[in-house]
Formats: sequence, C-alpha cells, structure tokens
Amino acid sequence: MARTVLPLLSALGALCLIDGNAVAHHSVAGQFDQSQRTEITGVISKVDWINPHVYIQMDVPDEKGAITTWRLESLPTAMLRKAGLTSEMLKGGGQKVTAAVILARNGTPNLGWLLNLTYEDGHEYVLAGE
Amino acid sequence: MVTDSARAMGLTTALTVAAFVVAGGASAQAANGVPRAPDGHPDLSGTWDNGAGIDFVQPRKDGESICIFGCASGAPPPAAASGAAAPGAPPPPAGPKYRPELAARVADLDARQVQEDPVLRCFAPGVPRIGPPDKIVQRAGEAVFLYEDVSGSFFRLVPTDGRPHPTNNEPSFLGDAVGHWEGDTLVVETKNFNDQTWLTDNGAFHTDDLRVVERLRRTADALEWTATAYDPAVLAEPYAPAKRTAKLTGLEIVESPPCIDRSLANMVDGSHHTNPR
Repeated sequence: MARTVLPLLSALGALCLIDGNAVAHHSVAGQFDQSQRTEITGVISKVDWINPHVYIQMDVPDEKGAITTWRLESLPTAMLRKAGLTSEMLKGGGQKVTAAVILARNGTPNLGWLLNLTYEDGHEYVLAGE
Repeated sequence: MVTDSARAMGLTTALTVAAFVVAGGASAQAANGVPRAPDGHPDLSGTWDNGAGIDFVQPRKDGESICIFGCASGAPPPAAASGAAAPGAPPPPAGPKYRPELAARVADLDARQVQEDPVLRCFAPGVPRIGPPDKIVQRAGEAVFLYEDVSGSFFRLVPTDGRPHPTNNEPSFLGDAVGHWEGDTLVVETKNFNDQTWLTDNGAFHTDDLRVVERLRRTADALEWTATAYDPAVLAEPYAPAKRTAKLTGLEIVESPPCIDRSLANMVDGSHHTNPR
C-alpha cells in the first residue's frame, strides 16, 4: 500500500486536533517518543475495544520461544470504525503480524503507540503513518 | 354551516396528510423538504452525523489493506496536520471570557489539563461541550436526544409540552432540559448542572448555576445547532461555541465502547493540544 511522506510528527499533530463529541483526549506526544521506534513480530492475542484509545495485546516470542506480551495503544474507536476496522480484523485470524511502534517516553517496558500492522499474508493497516 | 363539499374536502385533506404520514413513517414531507410531525412542527427525528470532530480522518482502502493516517492521498489536510489555520478558514471561535479575577484560575486549569480535564477521565462532557445530538427521536410533547460519545452513551429528555423544569432532580452532568418551539426552531433550555464539567478543554470551568440555551433547526437533510452558555458568576459574557451543522445519515449510532483511560499514568508532560472549539 502506498505510503506518504507525511511525517509522523504531523500525523501525531493531527491527532492532537481531535475534538468533538466522539473523541477528545490527550496528546500522543505526551506519552510516546517518536524518535524511539521499533518493530515487533508476534500474534495479536487480545483487542480491548475501548475509548479513548483501543489497546492491542500482542504476544511476541523471542529466539527461544519465550513470550513477551506488549501493550499497543492505538486510535479512538470512532476512527477505526470510520475506517471499517473491527477488533476481529485487527486480530488477523491469529496469523503472524509485524507491528511498527514508538515507545513510551517514561520507559514503561513493552508499551508502544501503534504505527502500523503488517500481516503475514501481506495486507496491512496503517494507523498512524511513519 | 359546513357543507358536504367542505366536509369532503376536509376529509380529502385529512386522508392526504394521513397518506404522507404513513409514507414518511412518522412525518409528512413539506415543500421545502423538511418533514413535519403530526403536530405541525418540523420533525427533527433522525440520525445526525456531525463529523464527531474527525472529519479530517479520511481512511483509504487498497484491497484488504486500510490506511487511516499517513496515506499517499488520504493524508490529513495540512491544516489538521500542522495545527495551522487553512487559508480562508474562519478563525477558531474564541473561548469563554471570564471575569478578570478568574483568569489565573482558568490559566492554571488549562496548564494542568491532563490532570484536570474531566473528559480525559471519561466523565460526561456536559453541555454545550457534548455538541449536537447524534440522534433525535421526536414525538408529540417530547424530544429525546441520544449521544454516542467517547465518554459513553448518553441521553437527554427534552419535554416540549410546556412543563417547567423539574425541581427535585440531583444536579447532573447533562442537566435538566425543557424545550419549546420558536417558529421552526426547537429551543432547549438546560439547567441543574453539576460543576464537574468544562465548557471547553481549556480549563473552562463553570458553576452549578450554569444555564445553556441550544437552538436546533432542520433543513431538508441537515440539522443546525447553536448554543449559548450563561454563568454570570464566572463568565464575563455569555459563551457561544461555534455553530455546528450535522448531516442526516443512514449510519446508525451504536453503543459507545467503555471509556477506560489507560494513558494518563504514562504521560510525562502536559502536552496540551489546541482544539478548534
């Protein structure tokens, strides 16, 4: 899928303008550091379809198979619904998925802001650009 | 004396109106496209898409893939992305003006928005911050406003049968509303609020003497909403947020997902965002 040159900072800036009666929340930049980017691969074991932000639980195995569970924060439900995304679609049927994330500024381990998800079958969901 | 022909004409008219009512479900269609309720008032019933503040979100689909932000051609407009005003765009509405002695308190709350804004903790946003209703169900003597809000699903009952405000309800986040018709405009006056909401997200507190007047007017497929907040103990002048226009939509509202904040504990600074309202 075509990506854009829109910088992440601008995308996060756009989120800062979210308003109205469906969404209102804090700044993403207050919690996550756009300069601390990483990619993790695993399976999505749970989606918490909650406001003001959806949370995804992702089980990530290391080389020895030990599982670390990440918590990935994403967009408000209204935005995902507008895009036609559901919690089941995010789970991807349990297939392997790679998530690009930025990390928590306060150093909380295994916590990230979700940029995009790329599934083993090739399709992807770009949630916050990069 | 009523002649037989007049009776017949009256009967014909009644049958015609009845036919319109049946055809329209609950309302008759007027020449200007505004349906009328059986009592003659405009029928505001419908599900109204007010953009929910996310008009700038224009998702793109490509096969099974979906892009919300950062898409090649569906990116947020520069104005939204940068926070700068778009050329030709109206200036953002001014926030509430407070009595001078309260400016420092508002500024302090604004600076500590992340700690203090009730909406960030999933409380009901109050009125007028909640904006126009997402759905209206209107019947004779009453309108019901429904909201699919980020903080939850809310309703407001708006009696229009001339009854006064209730006198024994506890103060609440959305207050007690009564409505009346001024021509084709539904005017809703609400009071008996608690003091636990803000008028905007910029520290705009109010007292429990807040009174809000909303005006709703329907065109064929749009609902125009304005509001004015009165709280003379703290406001230097009444506050009117920007007019909102909602479009009739076939996309039905749904139960709001639970609002459970998990983010604030990890905020390392205020990072207040500037809202357009």
